[in-house]
Amino acid sequence: MEEKYGGDARAGPGGGLGPVDVPSARLTKYIVLLCLTKCLKAVGLFESYDLLKAVHIVQFIFILKLGTAFFMVLFQKPFSSGKTITKHQWIKIFKHAVAGCIISLLWFFGLTLCGPLRTLLLFEHSDIVVISLLSVLFTSSGGGPAKTRGAAFFIIAVICLLLFDNDDLMAKMAEHPEGHHDSALTHMLYTAIAFLGVADHKGGVLLLALALCCKVGFHTASRKLSVDVGGPKRLQALSQLVSVFLLCPWVIVLSVTTQSKVESWFSLIVPFTTVIFFVMILDFYMDSICSVKMEVSKCARYGSFPIFISALLFGNFWTHPITDQLRAVNRAAHQEGTEHVLSGGVVVSAVFFILSANILSSPSKRGQKGTLIGYSPEGTPLYHFMGDAFQHSSQSIPRFIKESLKQILEESDSRQIFYFLCLNLLFTFVELFYGVLTNSLGLISDGFHMLFDCSALVMGLFAALMSRWKATRIFSYGYGRIEILSGFINGLFLIVIAFFVFMESVARLIDPPELDTNMLTPVSIGGLIVNLIGICAFSHAHSHGHGTSQGHCHSSDHGHSHHTHGHGDHGHSHGFTGGGMNANMRGVFLHVLADTLGSIGVIVSTVLIEQFGWFIADPLCSLFIAVLIFLSVIPLIKDACQVLLLRLPPEYEKELHIALEKIQKIEGLISYRDPHFWRHSANIIAGTIHIQVTSDVLEQRIVQQVTGILKDAGVNNLTIQVEKEAYFQHMSGLSTGFHDVLAMTKQMESMKYCKDGTYIM
Amino acid sequence: MGTIHLFRKPQRSFFGKLLQEFRLVAADRRSWKILLFGAVNVLCTGFLLMWCSSTNSIALTAYTYLTIFDLFSLITCLISYWVMMRKPSPAYSFGFERLEVLAVFASTVLAQLGALFILKESAERFLDQPEIHTGRLLVGTFVALSFNLFTMLSIRNKPFAYVSEAASTSWLQEHVADLSRSVCGIIPGLSSIFLPRMNPFVLIDLAGAFALCITYMLIEINNYFAVDTASAIAIALMTFGTMYPMSVYSGKVLLQTTPPHVIGQLDKLIREVSTLDGVLEVRNEHFWTLGFGSLAGSVHVRIRRDANEQMVLAHVTNRLYTLVSTLTVQIFKDDWIRPALLSGPVASNALNFSDHHIIPMPLLKNVDDRIPVTSTPAKPSSPPPEFSFNTPGKNVSPVILLNTQTRPYGLGLSRGHTPYSSVLGQGLAVPGVGAGQGLRPTFPHVPSRYGNNRTGQPRP
Repeated sequence: MEEKYGGDARAGPGGGLGPVDVPSARLTKYIVLLCLTKCLKAVGLFESYDLLKAVHIVQFIFILKLGTAFFMVLFQKPFSSGKTITKHQWIKIFKHAVAGCIISLLWFFGLTLCGPLRTLLLFEHSDIVVISLLSVLFTSSGGGPAKTRGAAFFIIAVICLLLFDNDDLMAKMAEHPEGHHDSALTHMLYTAIAFLGVADHKGGVLLLALALCCKVGFHTASRKLSVDVGGPKRLQALSQLVSVFLLCPWVIVLSVTTQSKVESWFSLIVPFTTVIFFVMILDFYMDSICSVKMEVSKCARYGSFPIFISALLFGNFWTHPITDQLRAVNRAAHQEGTEHVLSGGVVVSAVFFILSANILSSPSKRGQKGTLIGYSPEGTPLYHFMGDAFQHSSQSIPRFIKESLKQILEESDSRQIFYFLCLNLLFTFVELFYGVLTNSLGLISDGFHMLFDCSALVMGLFAALMSRWKATRIFSYGYGRIEILSGFINGLFLIVIAFFVFMESVARLIDPPELDTNMLTPVSIGGLIVNLIGICAFSHAHSHGHGTSQGHCHSSDHGHSHHTHGHGDHGHSHGFTGGGMNANMRGVFLHVLADTLGSIGVIVSTVLIEQFGWFIADPLCSLFIAVLIFLSVIPLIKDACQVLLLRLPPEYEKELHIALEKIQKIEGLISYRDPHFWRHSANIIAGTIHIQVTSDVLEQRIVQQVTGILKDAGVNNLTIQVEKEAYFQHMSGLSTGFHDVLAMTKQMESMKYCKDGTYIM
Repeated sequence: MGTIHLFRKPQRSFFGKLLQEFRLVAADRRSWKILLFGAVNVLCTGFLLMWCSSTNSIALTAYTYLTIFDLFSLITCLISYWVMMRKPSPAYSFGFERLEVLAVFASTVLAQLGALFILKESAERFLDQPEIHTGRLLVGTFVALSFNLFTMLSIRNKPFAYVSEAASTSWLQEHVADLSRSVCGIIPGLSSIFLPRMNPFVLIDLAGAFALCITYMLIEINNYFAVDTASAIAIALMTFGTMYPMSVYSGKVLLQTTPPHVIGQLDKLIREVSTLDGVLEVRNEHFWTLGFGSLAGSVHVRIRRDANEQMVLAHVTNRLYTLVSTLTVQIFKDDWIRPALLSGPVASNALNFSDHHIIPMPLLKNVDDRIPVTSTPAKPSSPPPEFSFNTPGKNVSPVILLNTQTRPYGLGLSRGHTPYSSVLGQGLAVPGVGAGQGLRPTFPHVPSRYGNNRTGQPRP
């Protein structure tokens, strides 16, 4: 009994955190074996990298497949045991073999490109890791923050390999003249990588990532076939055999047409045997045993750790004399020790790979599809479980785009913003493209400025779209108020822009830089034209009389374009009459106006600089524009704030006052209290009021009269509470809770005394 | 010229008003501390901005924006003090509670816009990575970190504390919580610090400082200048992650939406209301948060033609009042003109009852007239109506009489009344015989509670 208890206690932590669990003795054996195999696989891959320097890749794969097929046919006896294989299955095996060959080709080509260490780091991920990575990236229900973190680590690791890994070999590999490639295949791959415009080892990284995805897909697809054929081992044996026959003609052609670099094939027998055993056979058998004996996730976790660690170790020590015994080939090649060495980036990415493999391979809690919404006061997490019906209701993307386009084009506001956004984006991309073409930093950074501005337009577009949505439980008045919020955010955006322009112009005022004005003029004139179109469109639509067309332009002075979004002083002089106020469109309009001002500022300052050489003109212009932007935004912000703070709408103030006076004169009305009137959105003025009447009037008549009066005053969403004396009596009765009663009794007692006192007196 | 003068005049008075309100706030001892911190913050930000331009590091700039955000949060804190002192004005009839929300919203949005700007700048820097001088980088980081932490932990910032509690968790918090759950599995003692969730501001300050330290290390060791841009992007993304849930929360308050967490309770109450006797339908329900926490709402209730409006109103109000503090209920009937003209019983009943009702009415008038002078009740000359609460069952009887014709109403009424009549009964069981008399004097309080909010509220 006690022993059993002890066993339970030991097994208890096993299900929890990774490294802590204590596997039973039986499993330990397999884990040790697995680790050993993985280390040997790393050795094998380092070996094969050395081999690949001498042997052509297709020949190498051929020999590898040949050896594997030989051993597997020997062990598995696929022809003498098991069911006979139908013709249909042979075709499938053939396909399997072709895919297998392509993947191993990609794999070993990646190996030649970026070395064994990086290949091991990138390619030796088990299927479960990659599948959970992909599910995090491409589906919404990835499995909680841990998986997201794992995916982020994986991506960071790949990025580290791509960006921070300055591999010395690159320069060397880049020297290879195109003609020296051994075959059409490798030549083709090289050209493809060269076309992508990345360095060879980065190309290798991308290639390996691609191969990894292919491998996972391949394994998943071949699972059914392996069941049909009679087990994965039999399938593997057959497929290897088929691929040997596949590669055979190619190898023969190759060996006839090209001259081999290999001096003696006999000296390569030992290394080839090690590679065949370590990389192909041992690994395959160990994986299949472990997947039977252990959970897949545990298998993946224990497998990935030793292989990465040993890859790192070998990467450091492979060329060192210590490992000479391990190296079967190229003992003389010590001078090449500098290639594909360890760098900081690789170490960092290895750490990230280990972490991500650990996280991603940990078993995800199935059935826990809820999303964390917070924590209860006791600290236990609260989950929100959505029905499956909600999760599957997503539309297809083209249909979604079509529908939203239709919605956008339905109404004039959103249509205008959309067209202008398209125009702006077009201009931006032309600018960016031209900038990349001519390698002009100024143009590119101005393009980024334009994109930055487009974000305001996008927000305006969304607000215009959303404001037409139907009211829901949560948005009980409808979504119209979003336009006001969007106008407010746009106002804040402009203030931020004005602030940055101001800061920059102050900095330039202190230290005016020399400007190269050549590129500026055409760009700013282009921007000016685009934005003038926008101004015309928007001001026409709103006839608010923002007639003052300030131009705007997207100024790009190379390097730091000062972004001048000015916008004219339209707000002060003409207040908007409240009825048609649309804060969203106002915000968008101000944005466009600010851009126009910026363009004009750049043009003016360019002219001044070119004509008179006044370099101070540029910061002065920017300063002026910043102030203009700021001043013109204030009215928008003020109006939006008033609406958001539920102020009595200023334009209705007088009418409401008169209306309230009228209400007071209604017959039977005693008084009113709590009159609240506020603008909810552009076309909803809401109001609530409490009215006390004498008990002999009909409430509904009062409601009708008051509604009529307030409707005339402009309130269109009204709630009127009519109270009589009876209401207060009922309330006093109803609101008597237990505590109130207690309080009352106490008060009563004191009253009694009081009364007694009075009696005595 | 003339316009300029016109423009200037209101502005000066605006600044004058601002100064006046500022004095009002500054009179409070608590706000001195905030003002002190604000002054130090401005100084600190100035130094940090100088160091930013001297190191040319955009990551430090992104971190400095967090310090500027701190300044905004201090201003928000001042505003919340001011809001507490201000009474509702005729124009802002709901009071200024929402200003707090608006301040929170504006500062979180500004922080996000700053982060957007950082993202744009970093995109440009990826094209042309300038050299970073590490001289003041670490100093700047630690000055900013210690100042931020000091501000966050020493000032009780009510609005931000509320929002950071109420808003949904940011991704940064989620990851930290997830990590710390496993850490706390090993060392349970840490759970008090890390679980259930960390303060988002402390978290982002620490995470940003960590990113800057890594930047410093990598630049010192390997001259990887691109790390600076990368960590600027990381800080900007973290800023987005931290601020976004808060701006969504405060934005939803500003949009007058029903907070999702009360929808369940509201549904329950509305179901209760719709099962009240006489209620046919509840519609046009609008419930929204006024400031942080307090709910306001309005609802239209359609009732049967023969139902007692005031009774239903009282019951509906009573139900909803537990949750919604600023409530307006409109009762409406279909075809209300017809029954008034045609149905004899109601009219005759009303006549029967006129003597009961006539008694209370003068009271209301009295109360109304009296209140401006003094709010104290107990006017011996006009005794409270005798009919109401002498015995637990008695207050019900007039209503039943009123509706003798309609059986369901009477039945439903007794059902609907169980809560308060039973409570009353229980409560009365304690004092015993004297209950009826004891309750009586308290009655005049009631109109003052429900009817006299008008006193504080100037008529527009």
